[in-house]
Order: sequence, then C-alpha cells, then structure tokens
Amino acid sequence: MLEQLLIFTRGGLILWTCKEIGNALKGSPIDTLIRSCLLEERSGEVSFNYGAYTLKWTFHNELGLVFVAVYQKILQLLYVDDLLSIVKQSFSEMYDPKRMRYDDFEETFRQLSVEAEARAEEMKRTKQVAKPLNGVKKQGQVSKEETKKSNGEKKDDGDKVSVLSNGNHKMEDDVANGKENSADNNNNNSVGVDVSKLAKLRSKGVRGRGGLRKADSLGSNKGSSKVVEPPKKATKKNRVWDDAAAAPKQEEEKLDFTDENGDNGHVDVVAAADQGESMMDKEEVFSSDSESEDDDDDEPRSDEKPEAKKKGWFSSVFQSITGKANLERTDLEPALKALKERLMTKNVAEEIAEKLCESVEASLEGKKLASFTRISSTVQGAMEDALIRILTPRRSIDIMRDVHAAKEQRRPYVVVFVGVNGVGKSTNLAKVAYWLQQHKVSVMMAACDTFRSGAVEQLRTHARRLQIPIFEKGYEKDPAVVAKEAIQEATRNGSDVVLVDTAGRMQDNEPLMRALSKLINLNKPDLVLFVGEALVGNDAVDQLSKFNQKLSDLSTSGNTRLIDGILLTKFDTIDDKVGAALSMVYISGAPVMFVGCGQSYTDLKKLNVKAIVKTLLK
Amino acid sequence: MENLEGLKLMAEQWSNQGIEYLQKIPPFQLYAAIGLLLLTTVLLLSFRLVRRTKSNTVLLSGLSGSGKTVLFYQLRDGSSHQGSVTSMEPNEGTFVFHSEHAKKGKIKHVHLVDVPGHSRLRPKLEEFLPQAAAIVFVVDALEFLPNCRAASEYLYDILTNANVVKKKIPVLLCCNKTDKLTAHTKEFIKKQMEKEIEKLRASRSAVSTADIANDYTIGIEGEVFSFSHCCNRVTVAEASGLNGETVQVQDFIREYI
Repeated sequence: MLEQLLIFTRGGLILWTCKEIGNALKGSPIDTLIRSCLLEERSGEVSFNYGAYTLKWTFHNELGLVFVAVYQKILQLLYVDDLLSIVKQSFSEMYDPKRMRYDDFEETFRQLSVEAEARAEEMKRTKQVAKPLNGVKKQGQVSKEETKKSNGEKKDDGDKVSVLSNGNHKMEDDVANGKENSADNNNNNSVGVDVSKLAKLRSKGVRGRGGLRKADSLGSNKGSSKVVEPPKKATKKNRVWDDAAAAPKQEEEKLDFTDENGDNGHVDVVAAADQGESMMDKEEVFSSDSESEDDDDDEPRSDEKPEAKKKGWFSSVFQSITGKANLERTDLEPALKALKERLMTKNVAEEIAEKLCESVEASLEGKKLASFTRISSTVQGAMEDALIRILTPRRSIDIMRDVHAAKEQRRPYVVVFVGVNGVGKSTNLAKVAYWLQQHKVSVMMAACDTFRSGAVEQLRTHARRLQIPIFEKGYEKDPAVVAKEAIQEATRNGSDVVLVDTAGRMQDNEPLMRALSKLINLNKPDLVLFVGEALVGNDAVDQLSKFNQKLSDLSTSGNTRLIDGILLTKFDTIDDKVGAALSMVYISGAPVMFVGCGQSYTDLKKLNVKAIVKTLLK
Repeated sequence: MENLEGLKLMAEQWSNQGIEYLQKIPPFQLYAAIGLLLLTTVLLLSFRLVRRTKSNTVLLSGLSGSGKTVLFYQLRDGSSHQGSVTSMEPNEGTFVFHSEHAKKGKIKHVHLVDVPGHSRLRPKLEEFLPQAAAIVFVVDALEFLPNCRAASEYLYDILTNANVVKKKIPVLLCCNKTDKLTAHTKEFIKKQMEKEIEKLRASRSAVSTADIANDYTIGIEGEVFSFSHCCNRVTVAEASGLNGETVQVQDFIREYI
C-alpha cells in the first residue's frame, strides 16, 4: 500500500495529495528528494530511498508537473511505475493552470490504483511460476554481505539517509539487479562459498585487499599478503633480493636519513617567497566573442548513412519551423547520443555522461518544441542548464568567512588534504598556505605524511620559503597522533589555520583507508579537501566514491564526515578536456574550491563555472 | 587569385548597376523613403526610452524554506492552497493583489516573480535582477539563527550586485512566519543581519583590490555596517505567509509600483 501520492508543480505548489491514505510522513521525504536527487540531475534514476521510505517519480514536462509516490521500502511494490504513468495521463487531461483544487481526482485515483494493483497481481502470478528465485533476490538486496560479493556493486546501509550515498552507485543496483537476475543467480552459488571462506580468513587475522570480488582471489590472498603493505604499526622489513649478498645490518640503518637533530645547522635566512598576488584574487578574463555557440560546427563525425542523415536533417528543419507537438524519446535519442559523445571526448567519465543524458531526457520528454528551434539546440540548452546547476556549489565556499568564524571561537581552522598518490597534495598545500598568508591569516603546516621519503623535507622547504611554522615528527609515526598534536600546538601558539598533509593512498587499500578515517575521526577537521588531478579519467568516479564510502563506513561517532570540497590540480596540463571537474562534482556533490594550474605559489584559481560549461559543450 | 579578381569584377558591376538604378528614381520618392525611415527609428527609440523608466517587476528572494512560494500565492490568491514543496523553477505572475480585488479604479498590475532559494538555482536570480523594480528578501524568523550566515551571505550578494547598486533598487527584509510563538522580532533579525554583513565585509574585501567575488562593496569605511549606509533603501517588515498577514509587504510593493 502506498504511503502517499503527491502531485505538485515545478514551481513548488502542491496540487493534490491523496486524502484517503493521508498518513503523515516521517521527516520530509519530498523536500529531500527534490534537493538531493532532482536538483542534482539524478532524475534519470529509478527510485530514491529516504529512511524507511522509497520514492518513485515521474514528470510531465509539458505542463511542468511532478508526480511522486511514497511507499515503505520493505514492501517492494511492483505496480507503482504503472500507477504513476496512468495517473499522469488522466491528471493531465483534467489539469488547468487556473485551478488549484482537484478534489474530484480522488475518485479517479481510487479506481486507477485498484486497477493497477490488480494488473500487478496478475503479472506476479504469471512470473512466479517461471522464476521463484526472483522474490528471494529482491529481498537479498538489503543484506549487507551480498553487496560486498556482487560484482563491484555497492549498496548503502538501508537505514541511512541516502543523502550520504552521493558517492554510491545505488542507482545502478536497482537497474542492474533487476536485469541481471540470472547472472546473479549463478553468482549466488559462488557467493555462498565466499562468505564462509571470508569468515575463516577474517578470524585468522589476514588483512586481504578490500573488496574481495572474485573467488579465485581468495586463494592467492593468503600467499600475497606478504606483498601487500603491512599494517602501519610494524616497521618496514627490508626486501631481500636473491642475487644480492646477505645485507648486513648496518645497511638498514644507513638508509634512514631522517635528520634527528633537526635543522639546527641551517639557519640561513631564506628570503620570504613573495611572488605577487595569488591568481585566486585576480579577475578572470575570458573573451566574450566566443560566446556565440557554433551550432553549425557540430557536423556529426561518425560515418552514418548519408541518406538517413539527410532525411533527419530535413525533417528536423521542417519540424523546427512548424514546432512539433511533443518531444519523444526517439527524437531526443540521436541528439543526446551526440551530446554524450561530445562530453566523453572532453574527458567526462562515461557513466556520468550517461546519467546526465538520462536526466536531461527525463526533463525534456513530452515537452512541446518551440517553433524555430531545432531539437539539438533545445537539448543543448537543457544540458547547459543542468551543467550549470551541478557545478554551482550547494553551499558557500567562502573559506575566509569560515576561518574568521573559527577564529572567533578561538580555535584553529583545520584542513586535511587527502587523495591518491601523486596528485599534488603537498604542492597545492603550499599554494593554499601562500594565498591564506596574503590575506593576513596565520598558517601552520602539519606533516602527517610519515611514509613517503622526503615528504617532511618537502614541506619543511615550503615552510621555510613562506616563513610559516611547521609541525613535524619525522617518519614512521602515527599520522593521526601527529595531527592531533599539531592542532594542540596551533591552539597554543594562536595559528588561525592548520593545513594537514597526508600520504597518498589508493582507494582500494583497506588498511590505509582505515588509517585515514582514524585521522579524520580523531581530529574532526573543519574541511576535508580531496585533491584530484584534472588528468584523471573514469577513475575519478571510482576514487571519490570509494573514498566517501570508506569514510562513511569506518566512521565511529554519529557525525559522519565526508569529503567537503575538491581541489582540482594540474589544470594547466589539459587544454579543453575539463570533464574531470564535472565527474568529480557529480559523483560526490562536493564543490570545487580551488583549481591548481601550475607549480608556483601563485597558480591557484577559483573555478569559473560558466567557462567550464562553455568548454564542455563547445 | 583569379576567383578574387572575378568576384571583384562582379561586385563592381553590381555597384554600378545599383547606382544607376538609384539615379533613375525621381528624387522626391527617394527623400520621402529616407525621411520615413528616420522617423520610424526616432519614434522607436523614444518609445523605448519612455518605457524603460517604469518596470513593474518585484522579486521574491530568500533562502530555501523561508516561505516565498507561500507568500506568492497568498498575494495572488489570498490562500496558500495545499502547501508547497521546494521550488525547482520560478513562479511568475502579473496580477493585482487578492486583497485589492474589491477596490475600484485602475490599479496597476504587479509582475511578481518568486525565485527559487536553493543554492544550486542561484543563477536564476541574476536573470531577473536587471528588470527588477523592487526586491523582497524573505527570511525565516523561526529558524533564523541556524541559517543566519547563509541568509546574510545571500543578502550581501544581492546588495552588492551591480544592477542593484546602479539602479538603487529598494530592498525589503521581510521576516516571515511571525505567527509562531518562538519567532524572532524584526529588530533582532535586523541587528543580526547587520552584524553578519559587517563580518562578511571584513572577510570579503580583505586584501585584493580586484575582488572578484562581488561587484561592489557596501557600507562606509571604518564604521560598523548598518542598512542605512546602503545607497538603496533597505527596510524591514514582518509577515506571516500561512495566516495571510501580508499587509506590510503589499504596502512596500505599492510604494514603488
């Protein structure tokens, strides 16, 4: 049974709610749906989970109406989609923009829902004969264990609000699980084996790589555990090569170059780095004559049949003059496909481009095409709106304001830089420190990268050039503890901001991700900044979603900290393939706070949303 | 090169033909045609100048959840119907207030625009600002303190917008939901907003001369910010969307339309 069915306009006015089943809903599922799904361009998804409810929706784009059905998640009602579409049809017949009350729709709705339920019962009965395992499969979606085993699909905990699941591929599960029932059934057998083996391994205390996916990897796990990085607490054993002579003990000690006495000898006064204004504060100038979109330029590059192309072009011109009745999916598909290809050539991850196109399709279907416009230009306009909406930050990214607020509370503002290896965390940390310094904020650096050789020295050099204090404890220390002490030191000597540098880590590496979430849980930073390079392709999606997932899974206290912002680096190395920014923002929902575009201190910019959207759609 | 030469020759031929044709027309007709053209251009320009002075657009802006859509429908229909959800698109309408239906005489219609408050839809506000004659900034008086910072940032962005400063668009700070017991008073809200905007002033216009975040700065140097320092008029009022107490808002709008 449905909990509620709502009809409202895109402008926000509720037109009709079902009086018969007018149960008060817990929380505000509709508002959450709008804010975290529809406005985030995820309207192409199948459903949305909120607390104990599942929501499904459909649009009537021509009249600007939204139909939402809410029901209990555990019920797994099958007739909701069907019901929504027939409700949409019958309501749009009686819709009148001047009318605000539709009490007579109650009767029609009751009839329609009874019919829909009856139809669903019929279908279920016929299906049940064929595949008895279907029902079991759907129940199995909720169990957490299965999620780890099924081929790389992730699912969030059923009780959590899926606002947190920005980084999760929940939407994929609903579609994929429904489609690949047979495939999953086969997996089921291997899954059963995996669980028992996993339990045995866990009890033996072997830390295999996270995300055990294949059954055969389990066997090799035991053997390969030696190659996997040992937990941070154990000291690193020197690897013994077979061809070298047995390494004497002194060799090991010789390799440790940490300067234990500190830099007492090097008190040379390094001139404070003053390279002028950081680019953060400079006005972005971009030429305005590139504003005219060259629609004529997008001749299709693929070798389609020339006849079909000609016919398509002619009919589209004809339709553009007359203004066709309604846009159908088949009309939108070629335009959307071309748009998706174009986005992918600009280095947008494939699944993000796919989801975006679905969302745009959902918002354009059934809309009347205005006269003298082509379908492609309508689609382009809708996509541009969608891209601007995604890239516009959801909350304010005014760091200065946050720093001042923390200053009033007499505590330092803590920023933690996380990311995979080699993206430019330390370099960009120095740039951010330079920018903050220019705005008369006192900064302190904390060297919590205690693993990579030279990381502490690197930060020390930057600190010396910028003349800001650095808190370091050398190598092989627990980064969480180092960070905690750094923050205490900053409170003591009155620094406004503490920038914490961490070691780069792959998103799949379970022990390292655990260490990272320990650092974040222990120190409760104000800003968790994910550093990602603009060169990354489809991996951006994986990186961000796994980072977010691990941070939310391994968080101890009730307040889960996820990634709050993104720092995009190496922006000068890509000319116009700026799609990584879009993929990262879409999958995590975090805004891009800085853009690094070079290796000197001044090369730090803010993201210019309009310029990026223009480049993406050029 | 040959093509260019050929084209040049053709162009010359055409221009010669054109000149000959023009010379053939009797001079009176030519002057009449030119005169008519000039007259129409002059008339159009003057119409546009005259029309530009009075726009009747009023914007309803504010954070998401402050009650703009409810207020919009109260002003238009006298009731908020069955409630509202977060708006995804602006609500527009050109009408006379519901309470003014009974009045006789020629009342000017108001073009009211309810702009969504969600931060992702912020660019929509900028589309409507150029044509605005007055702005009503709606604030939730009930849940004021948690949203104070976000509300003041939004208000700061509006007050420093180029259009608002240049045209001196008046702003009404409307405290909504005053029918509830724990709602704050408008004086308290005004003070808090002024304090927050003062802090924003300090942090935004800190060092750089090229401050790309905002077009202008507001307030007087060295003094604590107050709404009286703005070059456009900023007033405060109370309202209750659900109860239909929108008198102060209507008065404000009627002052300028």
